Amino acid sequence: MEAIRYDALQETLYRETMDNGLQVYVLPKPGFQKTYATFSTKYGSIDNRFQVEGQEEISVPDGIAHFLEHKMFEEPEGDIFAKFASQGASANAFTSFDQTVYLFSATENISDNLETLINFVQHPYFTDQNVEKEKGIIGQEIGMYRDNPDWRVYFGLIEAMYKVHPVHIDIAGTVESIGTITKETLYTCYNAFYHPSNMLLFVVGGVDPEEVFRLVRENQAKKDYPPQGTIERKFDPEPSGVNEARRECKLPVSLPKCLFGFKETKLGFSGAELLRRDLATKLALDLLLGASTKLYQKLYDMDLISDSFSHEYNSNPNYAFSAIGGDTKDPDKLLQVITEEIKNVTASGFRAEDFERARKKKIGGYLRMLNSPENIAHEFTRYRFRGGDLFDVLPVYESLSLDEVNARLREHIDWNQLAVSLVVSP
Amino acid sequence: MNKTIFERGSAGHIRIHVLPTNRFKTFAVSLYAGIPLDSETVTTTALTPFVLRRGTVSYPETIQFREQLELMYGAGFGFDVYKRGNYQIVQIRMDTINDSFVQSQESLLAKTFAFLGEVVTKPVMENNGFRAAYVTTERENVRKKLESIINDKIRYAAERCIEVMFEGDPYRLHPLGQRADLDNITPETLYEAYRNWLRQASLDLYVVGDTTLAEVQELVEKMFDLNRSDTPNYAPAEKNTQPKEVRTVKERLDVNQGKLNLGLRTSITYRDDQYASALLYSGILGSYPHSKLFMNVREKESLAYYAASRYDGHKGLMTIQSGIEIANYEKALRIIREQLDSMRAGDISELEMTQTKAMIRNSLQEMQDSAFEMIAYDFNRVLSGKERPVEDLLAQVEKVTAADVVQAAETFQLDTIYFLTGPKEE
Repeated sequence: MEAIRYDALQETLYRETMDNGLQVYVLPKPGFQKTYATFSTKYGSIDNRFQVEGQEEISVPDGIAHFLEHKMFEEPEGDIFAKFASQGASANAFTSFDQTVYLFSATENISDNLETLINFVQHPYFTDQNVEKEKGIIGQEIGMYRDNPDWRVYFGLIEAMYKVHPVHIDIAGTVESIGTITKETLYTCYNAFYHPSNMLLFVVGGVDPEEVFRLVRENQAKKDYPPQGTIERKFDPEPSGVNEARRECKLPVSLPKCLFGFKETKLGFSGAELLRRDLATKLALDLLLGASTKLYQKLYDMDLISDSFSHEYNSNPNYAFSAIGGDTKDPDKLLQVITEEIKNVTASGFRAEDFERARKKKIGGYLRMLNSPENIAHEFTRYRFRGGDLFDVLPVYESLSLDEVNARLREHIDWNQLAVSLVVSP
Repeated sequence: MNKTIFERGSAGHIRIHVLPTNRFKTFAVSLYAGIPLDSETVTTTALTPFVLRRGTVSYPETIQFREQLELMYGAGFGFDVYKRGNYQIVQIRMDTINDSFVQSQESLLAKTFAFLGEVVTKPVMENNGFRAAYVTTERENVRKKLESIINDKIRYAAERCIEVMFEGDPYRLHPLGQRADLDNITPETLYEAYRNWLRQASLDLYVVGDTTLAEVQELVEKMFDLNRSDTPNYAPAEKNTQPKEVRTVKERLDVNQGKLNLGLRTSITYRDDQYASALLYSGILGSYPHSKLFMNVREKESLAYYAASRYDGHKGLMTIQSGIEIANYEKALRIIREQLDSMRAGDISELEMTQTKAMIRNSLQEMQDSAFEMIAYDFNRVLSGKERPVEDLLAQVEKVTAADVVQAAETFQLDTIYFLTGPKEE
């Protein structure tokens, strides 16, 4: 067990890697009632073609990582939710582009709940019958998202941007693609990606770190995991430019939804470098489009945006893009005004005073985020899987320079890489 | 568990509730202003906080207002307008970093109160009203928000179900008001409505963080210039009348998935001794993944991705919501009604009792880790006039028997069935 002290944050993180490769992190929160634990695999919707060292390369159906997540909750003795409930824990899971996360939150029976979490995720139980049954449930989940304009405009943007990279494939897949999933394909994916060396356990709350590590050590010692080679995820080269400059979807909405963004061309960053680019880009976007900018106020006064207007930046070693927008009565006018302003700002650069204020805001937002055990666990894992460290965020913000952020903005804004997604009423 | 004891006081006819603690990295501040739901005032009350957040005497321009928040290390500032029982509540929240994490010259808590005090009591004025431009744009903003309810079909169906169920009752009103009222609101009439609201509303100010009651009282006296002559209490909710017959309403929209919503009335409210039994009732029926609705509608029949119930103790209301294949309406409704019947018939296992108690216990205990959740729980006491510390409710939940749940079940009467269905005839 190794302790890492972050004085500025008044936090101490403990870590240990198990013999089978499982990384375990514990962040004690003295005085907290709750313990929140996430058990995550670096495996998400984009991992649809891969090769485990020494094995054959395979392609799997769209939506299988998410399907697998659903099916993990079933054990021979029944639904694992019931067991968590008996132990007073609230359990859940989610699948994103590049990870699948299983979690529980509890105020009692922490050791039992932790064992349950580890054991159910390390025990797949798929039958022809339970796989078929799940298709109906996930079919309804897909139907629910199809009716959700916010989801459609967001995914529409990624589809407009990416032609090849599987990030453009809906996380849940389609009714057709999940129709081809069998228990055999599920086991194949499970065996490749749920090896402990591809997984991370994070525990935060009122716990004693040594007790947690002892429990995990003993639990893992009872299980036999032969060493696994590296997993090579295969991605065909993504062409530069965008798939479609503009994509439109029809759904009944009170106002059109307009989301646009830039698809990054320089990729391959990871670890500290990726974290720094990520934070610099987010700071740049906030300086450009945040609620205290002249542009935001102008768009608001022109009645082109509402409180729904927002921006985000999503970055991974092999894809990265911004997503900007919200509800608007006039998408073309909105894009025109924003385009002009972006051209002005990229030419002039940000003002030092604005930069310092935005930096303060980001630091405050980061510290506030650390009040939430859920956010800590999720963000830590997300950064870790990309080779970065959540607890480096404060020093990185403190060390970013105005020139660096200006340069990042200029690099990110590449008009050849712009895509627009719209949802409009039929 | 730790006892949660708010220290209470008052200043300027505002009730003050302070929980001194150093568990969090921030000061959480929440101001509740409640007035009875009334079609005459619902829209002006809803619009008021939108205008207040545009500018104050010291920060007349919205950009200045937001820059000030950023300078306070990105202090969180937000508000909500919602219904609780027969009241329309405006909640204004701030979340500011505790000074010990940043190099701040002045106390950030004092700055927070100076800011909040200005927002509430010193809006930027023009002639004898609010600044006209702010009223105009925020009126449109609220209009857009009301119109956008239809975008999210889950929410839309839930709102429609309530409107149908509470026809003729103020509870039918949307907390953001009525679209038709917006046109007639002027800067002058809104200002007058705001003054009346500030005079008449029940005001409660909460602070959780590293401070004391004396410090907060002093800050409120200094920063909140309200000129109030009274500290009005909330009136407890009256007993619900029993529904005469079940109403069924079907509406059509261009949706892929049907949304089935049920509304039930109960005579049990937060004040009642049976409140804990009602929590168990809703929990066993549909609040958790081990509950009857989830197990039968989703897991057994694969009819839905979500099927859940929610109990509102301030109104004596329970709602059930589910997203289903349109063709499965009859079947899903039958299965949901079977669950209601089985609860009344006492088909409640010992396991369901222990699981549900454990889940309720967990959610009550984990509230202690979130400043705003502790505040929200304590506000139940203010609203209902019923003193029920978390420890008491925990003890009451433990004592509930299956027979008590059946007794509670008898008070839950189905009132409304609402189905949002697709455009075509089935």
